[in-house]
Amino acid sequence: MTFGQMGLVALGFYLAGLVLVAEIARRARKDSTPSDHFLAARDLGVFVLFLTLYATAYSGNSLLGYPGKAYRTGFSFIMATGFMMSIIVVFHALVPTLRPVAVAHGFVTPGDWVRHRFRGESGERALTLAVGILMCVALANFLLAQLQAMGHMTGRVTDGMISYEVGIVGLAFIILFYESRGGMRAVAWTDAAQGILMLVGLAALLWWLVGTAGGLEAITDRVSEVRPTAVAVPDATVCANWFSSIALLGLGSVLYPQAIQRVFAARSGRVLSRSFAIMTFMPLTTTLVVTLIGVAAITRVNLEGIASDEVTPRLLEQWAAEGGGHTVGAILVFLGALAAIMSTADSCLLSLGSLAAGDLLGRSGQDPQTTKLGKRLAAGILLLMVPLAMWGQLTLWRLIELKMELLVQCVPAFLLAMHWSRLRAWPTFWGLCVGTGYASVMALTGVKTLGGIHVGVIGLALNVVVASLGSLALPHRESASS
Amino acid sequence: MPTKRRLRAFLFVMMGVLFVASVPWYRETGDPVTLIWGLPDWVAVALGCYVGVAVLNSVAWLLSDVVDPEPGDHQP
Repeated sequence: MTFGQMGLVALGFYLAGLVLVAEIARRARKDSTPSDHFLAARDLGVFVLFLTLYATAYSGNSLLGYPGKAYRTGFSFIMATGFMMSIIVVFHALVPTLRPVAVAHGFVTPGDWVRHRFRGESGERALTLAVGILMCVALANFLLAQLQAMGHMTGRVTDGMISYEVGIVGLAFIILFYESRGGMRAVAWTDAAQGILMLVGLAALLWWLVGTAGGLEAITDRVSEVRPTAVAVPDATVCANWFSSIALLGLGSVLYPQAIQRVFAARSGRVLSRSFAIMTFMPLTTTLVVTLIGVAAITRVNLEGIASDEVTPRLLEQWAAEGGGHTVGAILVFLGALAAIMSTADSCLLSLGSLAAGDLLGRSGQDPQTTKLGKRLAAGILLLMVPLAMWGQLTLWRLIELKMELLVQCVPAFLLAMHWSRLRAWPTFWGLCVGTGYASVMALTGVKTLGGIHVGVIGLALNVVVASLGSLALPHRESASS
Repeated sequence: MPTKRRLRAFLFVMMGVLFVASVPWYRETGDPVTLIWGLPDWVAVALGCYVGVAVLNSVAWLLSDVVDPEPGDHQP
């Protein structure tokens, strides 16, 4: 049996499992409300919640984009372990305040918080809409990256037996099927399986890399010979970028709509705390591992003139070429990568449907009709994204950078609004516009950083200044809740 | 509980210190690099800091009070 045939069979079993889970999730549903479909009736326990948070947070970018980035920059990409860890630290500023309000008022989407916090103010609708648009654009951007990665990965795992285009269309259809049938339950349960597959796959790949190289010290010695800059102490600009990445990713990632919705979907506050207590270790088992994989690849592959995303697939091809158990291991990692990509894509799609129906169109979070509308919108969005994914040329790392620059501009409407009662709707809206405008113009003109600081972080600083000064200039509003 | 709150505040300060220490801003680019656990020394320091953050953050989450309101309670 060839590598492609074995991959095809494994892929078939994996996809059949996803369809089966969707059917079981559909039978487990209690009613047709948005709360049941989009939040699994707010009944996720510690194990499933942790694994769905994990699988959603670690996307195709973690498995394909990050090793590529580590390959290009060297050991300084250890910063990724730091910025992924900062996300779970920043969640302390969000969860203890947001969770009780969300439970008391039955929130389904992030926009429900904005509506609740700024209720009675004339700028509330404009701000809710602006936050909703920004989150939808960021999610659509993220979804596009996952669709592209799905196409590439399907081709790899089947050794070209399934083309890039067929991979995108086929897997998009499977995701739409299990997401619309089983909602958050199906997404969370499949995420749990996908998370385990990803963990096992990464550990196996690193074990092979370190084992064949003769240990970590041998890898570092060889890297310092091949490319001394990859091992050298980074310069001031890289250090500034390190701090900026911790701020950008830490602040921006807690506002992923799918992450916020998992805060709503937990069975209890205690379950949420325990899940985050475990999640905080995952950058060490995932981001650190992919960084070491990328650095080790410096001595094994030559990517001159080739996209960075190719590092992991090239390594897996080398592993598979050794035959026997190595081939099976490589197929498992390919499937683990595909699982990571699909688990992020399904979460993005589920959130996109609920945000479009609830936050953009203003539909009620209690009405079963909103569920139907959300499913239709999700299907429509996916139909639009598939042709874009077939055409797109951007690498995954560039896509995630653009996404974070936008998402981080929502920080004042959430984190500042939760901890400062004087913040008002219109200044927050204008701050968001200024920050987004600045970051977008800079990104579109090709400026990603200034002195190592991300333009999104500078945009956020402008955003906070406008929101704060504007709020202080307005008379204090006694009824504002914080 | 004040003791719990004070302990969490201490944990957050320590995590902040570890994040700052993880970035090798205090080293010169041309400094000689030695290996610790098979990693360049500045990478091993960063990794040690992140392991410390993970442990402290886990404790902070276990000490946190994410309290769900009682049924019928509609105040944050």
